[in-house]
Amino acid sequence: MYSEPVVTLPAPRILIKIGFMAAITALAGWGAHLIGLAPQPLAVVAVCTFVSVICTTLFFWTHRVAVAFLGVAVLIGSRAMTLHGMLRATELDIIFFLVGMMVIVGALKDLGFLTWIIQSILNRKRMTGTSFTVILCFLSALLSSVVDEVSSIVVVLALVFQVCDTLKIKPTPFVLIAVLCTNIGSAATMLGNPVGIFIGNKAGFNFSQFLAGASPIAFVSLCATLCVVLLWFRKPIHEMTEKMDEHRTAHHGLAPMIRIPYRRGLFVLLATVAIIAFHHQIENILGLTGTENKNAFLIITPLIIAGLLMIYRPQQARHYIEHDVEWWTLLFFMLLFSIAGSLEEQGITRNLALRLSEQVNGGPRAMTPLVLLISSLGSAFVDNIVFVAAFTPVIQTLVERSAEFSILWWALLFGACFGGNITAIGSTANIVALGLLEKRGHQHVAFFEWLKIGVLVGLITGLIAWGMLSVMTMPQPVRQPARESVVEGPLHEPHLSPVPTS
Amino acid sequence: MSKPDPSPKPGLSLTSFFSADDILTHLEQLTRNDCIRRILTHLSDVHGFNDTDAYYDAILEREDATHTVVANGIAIPHARIMDLQRPYVGIATSEQGIPFAEDEPPVHLILLVLIPRDQPGLYLQILRALASILRDRTAAKAVSRLRTPDEVMRFFERGGMVLPDFVCAADIMEDTFISLRDNDNLKTCIDCFISQQINEIPVLDRDGDMVGVVRAGALLKVCLPEYLLWMSDLSPIVNFEPFTTVLRNEQHSCLSDILLQNFASVQMKAPAISVAGEMIRHNASRCYVLNGKKLIGVITLSRFLSKIFRE
Repeated sequence: MYSEPVVTLPAPRILIKIGFMAAITALAGWGAHLIGLAPQPLAVVAVCTFVSVICTTLFFWTHRVAVAFLGVAVLIGSRAMTLHGMLRATELDIIFFLVGMMVIVGALKDLGFLTWIIQSILNRKRMTGTSFTVILCFLSALLSSVVDEVSSIVVVLALVFQVCDTLKIKPTPFVLIAVLCTNIGSAATMLGNPVGIFIGNKAGFNFSQFLAGASPIAFVSLCATLCVVLLWFRKPIHEMTEKMDEHRTAHHGLAPMIRIPYRRGLFVLLATVAIIAFHHQIENILGLTGTENKNAFLIITPLIIAGLLMIYRPQQARHYIEHDVEWWTLLFFMLLFSIAGSLEEQGITRNLALRLSEQVNGGPRAMTPLVLLISSLGSAFVDNIVFVAAFTPVIQTLVERSAEFSILWWALLFGACFGGNITAIGSTANIVALGLLEKRGHQHVAFFEWLKIGVLVGLITGLIAWGMLSVMTMPQPVRQPARESVVEGPLHEPHLSPVPTS
Repeated sequence: MSKPDPSPKPGLSLTSFFSADDILTHLEQLTRNDCIRRILTHLSDVHGFNDTDAYYDAILEREDATHTVVANGIAIPHARIMDLQRPYVGIATSEQGIPFAEDEPPVHLILLVLIPRDQPGLYLQILRALASILRDRTAAKAVSRLRTPDEVMRFFERGGMVLPDFVCAADIMEDTFISLRDNDNLKTCIDCFISQQINEIPVLDRDGDMVGVVRAGALLKVCLPEYLLWMSDLSPIVNFEPFTTVLRNEQHSCLSDILLQNFASVQMKAPAISVAGEMIRHNASRCYVLNGKKLIGVITLSRFLSKIFRE
């Protein structure tokens, strides 16, 4: 389990940041009211609460869960959101999916599969800096597309640190390469990034549709990124080649030669991916159709595999749940989804969607670069899930008006994932990587050092995504998901929308 | 009746704990135990102790554990006594000297100290107050030549011995310690861990500045990288394969691979209580005492406990 370092700031700096946050929040609330997005006072409260959570992720990352708790309390206390509305908006289906996947990743570590991957690469003969970089790029992307991006970056950085520590070279360039490719690879499937499962589920894509639409663009972007990093980091790559040659001449290896059993782990991973890949067909066989069963088998597959793994390894079951599941992150997601749900409940996202469609001429194709740009820039500075959670209802509203707008789901996905590469705080994987780098060697990546390569890669991959979205026929959702407010049940009772006071 | 506050007030003189009545001069031809018994009996006569035998046993128990000869010619036998209202100091001199410890020359000045049990650090404060005569090799011999208790008393009064406000880190540190140089190799380090049977060694640069510590645990981490420990079952590597790489390279690997900068340290004049704070904060069993960046002593957890709870 990754634990974040707690940074203690001097009091004047904290006060300046709080003042800045308060000013941004007030300005956002006032602006939203002025342009008609939030005409009612309660809508202004919802906007201010959401913006304050965004600001917290930007200025006080370690306090994000605490502020999200308070945010939910403010929304319910002020009647800007009902209790039912909050519970409905927590997206428990996505949370359960992520819990299951995290347990599976924990088991893959425990069974030695991830160790085997690292060991196999370390034991390769005749490796050079260039071949290591190519392997690193594809491994980062592949791993992040089948396990979550945080687990993926932890595994890949273990490889980077082992090689760089052994060769006594600076790991920073290779950490950057790994992170850039992790963010790109995480867009390729529904499993890679919480953003993927969130968008896929909201849009109503099944796994194969998502894969068919996302993986070609992710693959081309990955190849382009590989070319960029091979050029950009040619000096450290060359240095690595020289050190590897010296090491080989002295008959030293990069790691101990150990045979790690991998078959059980490989079987678990392949079984998980295979079942998820055919979830739609299985849902049809089981009769799990209709809006209330949207992607039901996709969501429960990780839970089934995780359950079986915990029966298979009873002595480790508690460890999987307590240490391998990132409860802190999941709790933040739940609270964040709730707070973003209040924007929908207050009609702010609907207003924004109407404004967007009125302002942008040219329909969905013209809106694609706009959504790509907004989500890229937004995700560069706040956690991409925050941005996606807020933007999803806007696109849902647009898609309800015309199915052609469903291309915007893809624009949102690639903007959020690729935009995360732009800055050091753009995605959870970036922050985890920087934390590991600092914890290990007390090395620091300057904001602008990251920004230079981040902007370049972000721009190139963004353009590739735009170009390919323009020429490709992207899969359409199997069915347009009905708005959840019409679905009834214990957590789906139609709740009272706030009555306008005027 | 409430017990008076036994903690010494700031700037308290050592001579406030005794008077000329508590001093015996020219105790000759006595053994250690007889000397201690004589001083205790004398103190009892002056102050009316009612359990001299118990005090005697406590002092001997402490003396048998480790002798209390603190410098050439000076011994400070002492004990912590339950229910004692205030500290008592009895002084004896011997021109011929009294053998106190087998491996030490006879002592000429004996300060017997009785301290309330709940006053940790007072003995160390008294030691600090005596620092000037402890440093002077001729002081004990000179005092033993004084003929009357009044003359001895005047000697201590002239010395202006004042109890320090608090016990500092330097008072409880061990000033002899094992260390490694930053350019030593892993082989030297492993040899040191094994031969000295310790699991943490400070590392100094050529100026004597402390640059970090090496821990036996960190050495294990080098042998077993983190990605191997992801597996709960390590049976695939039962033949210590990861250790072969370290064994092969130990003479060519420098300490920087396992050097840790996160260690417990205090400045020499810091209050001794800060040693406890540092050890807790770093979950460490050793705290390093620095003068600026220079390492001047080590305080182990057992030494800290012994100094504070027992001495």
